[in-house]
Amino acid sequence: MVDAEIKRDRIIIRYKGKKWDWMLEPRYWRNTFIWTACLLIFPILCYFISPILLNTLITANLYAAIAIPLGLMTVGTGRLNFGPNFFVGVGGYAAAILSIAYGWGPLKTLAPAILISLISALLFSPLVILARGLYYVLLTLLLPLVFLEVTFIYSDLFKGDVGLAGIKLLMDLGDVKINFLMIAYLSIFLVLLYLLVVNKILKSRYGLIMAAINDDEEVAHGIGVNINMVKILAFVFSAGMIGVVGWFYAHYFGTFAGITYLPLTFMVKILLVIFIGGRAQVFGCVVGGYFVAFLEMILIATLGNIQPVVFPIILLILLFALPEGLFGIYRKRRYREYLPTLHVRR
Amino acid sequence: MYEILKVRNITKSFGGLTAVNKLSFDISSGETVGLIGPNGAGKTTLVNLLCGSYYADSGEIEMDGKHITRMKPYQRCRMGLSRTYQIPRPFPELTALMSVVTSALCGKKRTNRGLDDAAAEATHYLEFVGLFSKRNILARDLTFFELRMLELARALATTPKLLFVDEVMAGLNPGEANRAVHLIARAKEEFGLTIFWIEHVMAVLMEAAERIIAIHFGEKLAEGTPEEIANDEKVIEAYLGSGWRKTDK
Repeated sequence: MVDAEIKRDRIIIRYKGKKWDWMLEPRYWRNTFIWTACLLIFPILCYFISPILLNTLITANLYAAIAIPLGLMTVGTGRLNFGPNFFVGVGGYAAAILSIAYGWGPLKTLAPAILISLISALLFSPLVILARGLYYVLLTLLLPLVFLEVTFIYSDLFKGDVGLAGIKLLMDLGDVKINFLMIAYLSIFLVLLYLLVVNKILKSRYGLIMAAINDDEEVAHGIGVNINMVKILAFVFSAGMIGVVGWFYAHYFGTFAGITYLPLTFMVKILLVIFIGGRAQVFGCVVGGYFVAFLEMILIATLGNIQPVVFPIILLILLFALPEGLFGIYRKRRYREYLPTLHVRR
Repeated sequence: MYEILKVRNITKSFGGLTAVNKLSFDISSGETVGLIGPNGAGKTTLVNLLCGSYYADSGEIEMDGKHITRMKPYQRCRMGLSRTYQIPRPFPELTALMSVVTSALCGKKRTNRGLDDAAAEATHYLEFVGLFSKRNILARDLTFFELRMLELARALATTPKLLFVDEVMAGLNPGEANRAVHLIARAKEEFGLTIFWIEHVMAVLMEAAERIIAIHFGEKLAEGTPEEIANDEKVIEAYLGSGWRKTDK
């Protein structure tokens, strides 16, 4: 017979010589399945309650999908990249231009978009070795802004002023509502994939080496870490992952304009995602993504035009009030954890 | 006994200041060589040159018959060069065990070295320096002496042939310093190391070192057994001062 027993900190269930125990204290829960289930149920709920929320949901997932590789990049290079949206622009424009020029669908443009993001990242990867501290921050901050100027200068190719239109859609199932639901699930799948991959990397030996680089580059070099290779690999790999989000944006909306993704306002949102989620906490990025996307929706509904001004103010307040982020409140400090928190090198 | 490290006429200057000036010496395997010099004599610069943190302006460094003058620090480390720092530089956000695991992973190239294998090996080095009970404590929470020991464990875990010890006594009380010196002597025996020991405290080197090199303003003043160095006129004048008596030891 089923035999349940309540101990001080756990419930033990015995059945035919098998034993399951369930920790009562929330911090010991293996929350992977619970969180995944929550993520997967959310779109269905939105579909029945208010389909407009699906758009916010997709936005939230895509913010998270940018922030997760950015966490990997930050740990791996030991520097905080302030221009992750550059790779969103690169991946998005690659997909958009190819789709318009050759009429390619999303499956065909995916590989070129990743490839071009990787190549552009490889082109700019010497920054990771040469620049450090504020110089790195400034240079990476300038990259998307310079790219934005380029889209205006070469207007016949990039259409910087009006944006590229006529990109093939991600999926077309006939019904608009079903379409949105499927795209929401696709974005959730992307987030879960990124979480899995980045978490695996950070828990592996390469994650440990990255943690060492993040702490002290010179010492890491001295104990036999090929720091330049690790830093460039981390930079290029996560840039490719961010490029996929650009591809997603292009095919999701059917239009792509650099002015939406390359300016500072977009970048501030990504920073907010990271700081709310907790520094270098990959799982926190999802929490941060949802927080920012829904906050944005509420602010647009209530405040209107001054909404872009409010975001940096919230960012500043959070930096002082919650240095560990919302996820940091949930996460108790555990000494066994060797993954570092981020710090910007001066 | 063969010459594990040959240094020929290395020079390094920072702007107008010549920190190391045409210095040449050899280190044989199995030896403990001491390096002394007054403040600003270029001792730490010399270690930085040998470990690859800086590149020499001129001159040659040869290890096991290979020129390593232009090699990067990680390549030198994989050849069997390792060092500790004068001021401990731990990985503050890593636990003690994980810091040592990192160097066990990355030191000498070994095939199919996974995280678990490295952890098993790192445990041994951590036990050797007496930090096993503190393995799960973050490095930033360790005391100064424990940080020194962690540095030593991290240096040993790369399986070096030649270990540079940079002022291990600085900031330690006599009891701790004694433990540190004995530990280095034991490490030399157990792991078959060659040790290049930079130290301010003359008494330590008089006991531990077989040969001492004295430098002043980046130039070699004298080289010889501890007794010869202690009685060398130039060394006494430059470094030990007129107050030094051999009986003080």
